[in-house]
Amino acid sequence: MKRIAYGIAAAAISIALLAAIGALFGHRDLFPILIGGSVGSPFALEGTLLKSVPLLLTGLAVVIAFRAGVWNIGGEGQFIAGSLAAFLAARYGIAAALIASILAGALWASIASLLRIWRNAPEVLTTILLNFVAIHLLGYCVNGPLQEPSRMYPQTDAAAVALPLLGTSDLHAGIVLALVAAFASWWLMYRTKEGLRLRAIGYNPNAARTAGVNVNAQIARALAFSGAAAGLAGGIELLGVTHRLFERFAAGYGYSGIAVALLAQLHPLATIASAVFFGALVTGAGELQRAANISSAVATFGQAIVILVLIMFGSMRARD
Amino acid sequence: MLQVSHAAKSFGANRAVDDVSLTIRAGEIVGLVGENGAGKTTLMRIVAGELAADAGTIEFEGRIGFVHQHFMLVNDFTIAENLALATRTSPRNAEAIVASTGIALGNVGRRAGDLSVGEKAKLELIKAIAREPSLLILDEPTSVLTPYESEELFAVMRTLAAKGTAIVFITHKIREVTAVATRVVVMRRGSVVADSPSMSAEEIADAMVERRTGFSRSGRAEARPTSRGEILAIVGVAGNGQRELAEQFLHAYPRSRIGFIPEDRTHDGIVAEMSIAENIALTRENWRGAIRRVPALIDLYSIKAQSAKQPAGSLSGGNQQKVILARELDGEPERIVASEPTRGLDLESTRFVRDQLREAAARGAHVILITSDLDEAFELADGIQVIYRGVLSDRMTPAVASERVAKLMAGLQ
Repeated sequence: MKRIAYGIAAAAISIALLAAIGALFGHRDLFPILIGGSVGSPFALEGTLLKSVPLLLTGLAVVIAFRAGVWNIGGEGQFIAGSLAAFLAARYGIAAALIASILAGALWASIASLLRIWRNAPEVLTTILLNFVAIHLLGYCVNGPLQEPSRMYPQTDAAAVALPLLGTSDLHAGIVLALVAAFASWWLMYRTKEGLRLRAIGYNPNAARTAGVNVNAQIARALAFSGAAAGLAGGIELLGVTHRLFERFAAGYGYSGIAVALLAQLHPLATIASAVFFGALVTGAGELQRAANISSAVATFGQAIVILVLIMFGSMRARD
Repeated sequence: MLQVSHAAKSFGANRAVDDVSLTIRAGEIVGLVGENGAGKTTLMRIVAGELAADAGTIEFEGRIGFVHQHFMLVNDFTIAENLALATRTSPRNAEAIVASTGIALGNVGRRAGDLSVGEKAKLELIKAIAREPSLLILDEPTSVLTPYESEELFAVMRTLAAKGTAIVFITHKIREVTAVATRVVVMRRGSVVADSPSMSAEEIADAMVERRTGFSRSGRAEARPTSRGEILAIVGVAGNGQRELAEQFLHAYPRSRIGFIPEDRTHDGIVAEMSIAENIALTRENWRGAIRRVPALIDLYSIKAQSAKQPAGSLSGGNQQKVILARELDGEPERIVASEPTRGLDLESTRFVRDQLREAAARGAHVILITSDLDEAFELADGIQVIYRGVLSDRMTPAVASERVAKLMAGLQ
């Protein structure tokens, strides 16, 4: 309960600070625009929910990894790997494309596991470096083998399939998948032996090892689960929203997942609310750009403040 | 020069120092010996003012230099900078300070973190000597030194003593005491049990360990058929390979077939953030079955907890140990390895843990008890082996062991 209160307080403080700084620079209407642009109308709400889907999945990816004490900072790369695989598998149908994105994300993350097991390379470094590899791999694909036949822009054609839309809205079936993933993550972590061992290595790897847990194998599985969630995020974003791949396709969703997970205090179900909050922040920031000519970078600013406030709470708790 | 009168200090139920009186004069080299936990370091920390005594008085005039067992160096500083920090002078004086102590340490521009453990120990010693203490306390100074370096240290000690410095040399290595000390003080269970200018190695060893003649559990133990299980105690001074031995047992059998009680409960035993139930389920294949059984185990092992969902880290040390026992013994494994199973526990928990180990042996388990607590070994064991520098002695009956164990532990046989 206390942890939920910390999360809500951190979110509230970051919004209040944003509004206060806006007022300082003469934008008294910053807060109303932010709210109006994110949840103020059915259209705005739709935008918020669409942004929340990839954030929820990359957030879950970070929750799973961090719970296991594995510092997977590679959500961005796994997101891209998932989207590339989904694009290539799309001709075999929507199910094949989604499964391909899950597997590709898991495999991309597993490169870091292999490096850890073979060379004892810390995953916090390898996963970050693999992000750059993925970004350039995507850049090569959209400028080369996967570029649209007209060769007009560095982007692919539309994928062969798309996720079905819900009713008459722009919302796609990926929302349902992301919610299912959140509940599945919760079930995995708190209702299975796998989850028990995953959390145990995160809290106390020595005790887990003494209790008979194969720590290296467990880390590798945690990274694979984590990468799978980030890969699925990439697949859904492609098949539900952009339909094409282009150079800046990932747009920082992988990194934002870290903020989402931290705000959710690493709880899979709280991640749903946390993802919607950050989705609203990004969508509202877009409206600020359009209506008040304030850079949408304030969304990044908001994310940073949330994390800083949480760190502050954390050190306050440590001092108690 | 130093006058300790009726000093006492308890940690919980454990009387670490129990009514100790001691006088130390200038120029003495006092070898303070005893088993682990005999109260040597605690007594000296009281003398140095690091701990407050519960009772008694300390009279002392002058400066005390205390070289701890653990290094207190700034690794990113050079030798010269570390010395400057300790003596509050300029790093430029470092060479002169080192030279004045008569200890060879080489280039003082080297980073402390790059030094060997022996060199770090020397640097700590130089730090202490440079402040010209009238009483110098050395806590197990030779544990990281080579034999040659130890001789070097003894020479320095003799020089200092000749100049009038009193030295207290805490150790459990009897040979070193007889080599350098001008007086031997033996502590056992918080009390001084011997204090003499001249003691032979055998006399010191006997004083360190209580005589256990008249202790006869062995007859009954030998009559017991070995197939019915037994307790084998492996005793030794900490750091002689006990940990490595326990690890070997852990990896020699499938985890479900060995009950393993680790030496360091909080480091290797309990996941503090997870619940009692989750801690118990961690070793089990049948996860759900294990969770369902936890309330019964809490009763059976009389774990004082509000519920199975309580975080294990919120329990007292004794109850944490009971959680580990419940986990490790409930499956009735054929083999049990228990390392220091009662360390830090109160009397009631200690009795409970020992009873559980006895019961396990009675139902047929082979129990290996690795302990530095000789009382525990003699109370429980059917057979005793001593571990010294990674080598196990022959197996002895408790009756034979009570004669030989002290010397074997000190490496005298």
